[in-house]
Amino acid sequence: MGLLYPGALVFFALVPALLVAYLAKERPTRVTVSSVMAFRALRGFRRERFGGWPRLDWMFFAELLILSLAVIAMAGPFIWKQTAPLAVVIDNSAAMQAMTPAGRSRFEAARAKLDAALSAEDGGGEISVYVTAPQPRRVAPPFDSLTEARLALSRIKPCDAPNDRTTLENFLGNLASQARVAKVIFAGANALAAPIPARIHPIAVGDAVANAAIGSFTIRREVLGAEALHASLTIANFSPETRTLELAVTGDGKEIAHAREALGARETATIEFPALPPARIYEAKLAPDDAFALDNVAYATASSVKKVSILFISPTPADAQGLNSIPGVEVAARTPDSYSPADLGDFDLAIFEYAAPKEMPAVNAMLVMPPPGDPVFGLTVTPAAKVEIAGWRTADPLTDSVNFRLLNLRGGEYFGTHPWMSQVVGGDGGAIVLKGERGAHRFIATGFNPFPYLGRRNLPMSVLTLNAIGYLAGLGTASGYRTGQPWLAPAGVERVILPSGSAVAANPGTLFTAVSEQGIYELAGPGGATTPRAVNLADLAESDLSNSPPLRVEAANPASAAAPVMEKSSLADYVLGAIIALTALEALLVYRRRRRVAGAFAP
Amino acid sequence: MFGLPDEFTPGFLARLEKLRIRTRQRYAGMGRGMHLSPKRGSSLEFNDFRHYSPGDDFRYIDWGLYGRSDKLYIKLFQEEEDLLTYIFVDASASMAYPAGDRKFEFAILTALALAYVALASGDRVMLRVLGGSGGRVNPSFVNGRHRIVELARRLHDLKPGGQFDFANSLATELLAIRRTGKVFIVSDFLMLLNSVTRGLGMFTAASMDLTAVQILGGRELNGQGLDGDVEVVDSESGERLRVSLGERERAQYRETMLRLTREIKSFCLKRGLHYALYTTDHDFQNFFVRAVRDLGLAH
Repeated sequence: MGLLYPGALVFFALVPALLVAYLAKERPTRVTVSSVMAFRALRGFRRERFGGWPRLDWMFFAELLILSLAVIAMAGPFIWKQTAPLAVVIDNSAAMQAMTPAGRSRFEAARAKLDAALSAEDGGGEISVYVTAPQPRRVAPPFDSLTEARLALSRIKPCDAPNDRTTLENFLGNLASQARVAKVIFAGANALAAPIPARIHPIAVGDAVANAAIGSFTIRREVLGAEALHASLTIANFSPETRTLELAVTGDGKEIAHAREALGARETATIEFPALPPARIYEAKLAPDDAFALDNVAYATASSVKKVSILFISPTPADAQGLNSIPGVEVAARTPDSYSPADLGDFDLAIFEYAAPKEMPAVNAMLVMPPPGDPVFGLTVTPAAKVEIAGWRTADPLTDSVNFRLLNLRGGEYFGTHPWMSQVVGGDGGAIVLKGERGAHRFIATGFNPFPYLGRRNLPMSVLTLNAIGYLAGLGTASGYRTGQPWLAPAGVERVILPSGSAVAANPGTLFTAVSEQGIYELAGPGGATTPRAVNLADLAESDLSNSPPLRVEAANPASAAAPVMEKSSLADYVLGAIIALTALEALLVYRRRRRVAGAFAP
Repeated sequence: MFGLPDEFTPGFLARLEKLRIRTRQRYAGMGRGMHLSPKRGSSLEFNDFRHYSPGDDFRYIDWGLYGRSDKLYIKLFQEEEDLLTYIFVDASASMAYPAGDRKFEFAILTALALAYVALASGDRVMLRVLGGSGGRVNPSFVNGRHRIVELARRLHDLKPGGQFDFANSLATELLAIRRTGKVFIVSDFLMLLNSVTRGLGMFTAASMDLTAVQILGGRELNGQGLDGDVEVVDSESGERLRVSLGERERAQYRETMLRLTREIKSFCLKRGLHYALYTTDHDFQNFFVRAVRDLGLAH
């Protein structure tokens, strides 16, 4: 036995203080008696006598014992104890949800095997229980008993996220290298590649399972201004034989697309649905059902198709109104006086009509008939009563599908040669449309005003405008969200309702980590309005249940077998328990004695 | 039973009826009874002779003596009268402590048992209460055994309380009762010994036949339940004493209590008084039957 803080023993000097406290402490019990005659022969309180001494009864010694125990507790008593700390790691990744031929999931099989393995342990040391997905972590502080560890294991459920393979390998390696861990039991779908560190006892439950999966489900707006959305789905057949897979896509619960594809063994295909009608939530289902149901379903949302947000700066903000009619475009208008460069932080691109910024915009921007003398872009501007188009680049995204012959331009301006912007459309007096990239941003300058946007009423101009916005917006495929991968909580979101229905508070700008479930997450703002967000497994490596490559675990000392660990076991809890018990016992006995006296002599 | 305390079972009452009050002197009564009176009367017990006077009942002429002396003598016989019995019950505050010992309750039982013995013997009983509050006891003689219920009812509402000087109170009572007879004083006698002896001595001086019945609580006698530092408060004077009590102190306390009782008993025996001590942790009926002689009673 030892003491962590032997210096605390100086508090034994408090014992004399206890004597003083004891002498001063006890308020005498007042008792009315028939006559005090017989008491006169007795001497007064011992503590009131000269040279008095406390009554050395059981109570005094009990208090002395309590004080001594308190001092010992302060000194931090401990004993050295030989233990064999055990680390139990159970794979709770999505692949563990796959059903085995025995009729239970891989996870249940792993838990049963772990349970059996724990029964063989002597329970001499503490047991730490870890899960692997989304990231390896301990589920609770170490348990002192096998029963508690089993109970903790029984409460774990597999999540919808895959394992982070590299992290898991490093984690197992670290566990196997720790001197304080005598043995690591890992139960999971992946076997361990040789050489296996001596302290790790793997339990593999990753029997091959034939599986078909949806690998990804993405939706994009292929053409700016188009209502319909384009869906791409990747499906895979991880079975040893050719299978015909049927894919159905529903939009807000109503089937809107269907496809059938025959895939050979271990073959992958991409299925496109180019014109899905608008819906809030899309769900793709793969048939027939198989042993791993999770990857037979995938979700997508229309809100995942990124909208283009435009800040329109103009002395005539009304010109921006027509842009709002373009699907997938949001516009905010502002006058040059009220514009601040900081405003651009909330927008994807900016359009300066008859205006020019005082500093280089931090987003892609379009300058419409900028005023002469602009110091930022240094455009040479020559106003013209009527600008005539003389030529244009044919293979340019800005000019794609624009019928320039029908484009009727009135007054405008010509641009001179620009150091870093190149001409796209030109006229006799110079360039009419310039484009260039600077500081990783795209810029366009036009010598005519395409606004207000009139849609079909001015088709050539509208096509040119859409091309320009599309070029500046850099339209592409929206990348989906995957289980286990945290995302930043968007601005205005107060809480997130998980697919399971439970709500989790969210702080905008911080990582949201409760992303272990596949499905639709509803992002709720202060007004109660929600925005759906689809989160999918989308991991064909996880879905490949017939091919689970072994984990390569490297330990610092792979050959060292499990060794018992000597660790300090604190006795402070027991000492404090004894103090509490003694104090309670004393209080009880004192109370009973007072009550007995009061009961016997009260009138 | 019929308003009597529960201790007065039919069996106990039957045993009480076999008892009678014993006196060391003869006292004049107020009516015919079973006790020899100093008066001459018509009992069977011969007392003396006197010369015949005209008008005497010649049935009492001793004709044998006339034959021997040729003079007429009349035989005189002892008178038998009832005994005037005074029962004093101490109802001072000290009789209420310790509450668990029920001292006052047993004092009343004792007084009623003595009264029943007297009433069953045809004697007259006057019950008098020293101190106390609540009940009203009629300070007059009652006779007839049925009157015991009346006495029990009167004592029922009595509550101990207050403080009195024992000797002075008894002196006042002595002046009030005037006629001699048998006196029982039921008290804890937890007062200055001087006061006790002066009080009891006055009754002997007044030719009263006195029995002192001391009632003490079992816990009171042993100091049971008192432990540690205790501030004891006198129930009557309010005097406070602070004492530390342990086993040794309790033994010392008990010895002091016993010494007090021994001194009272010694005083009584020297003066020819009866003395009985009853501690409430003993069976009452058993005590009363066994302490017949100490109580000044006889079968």
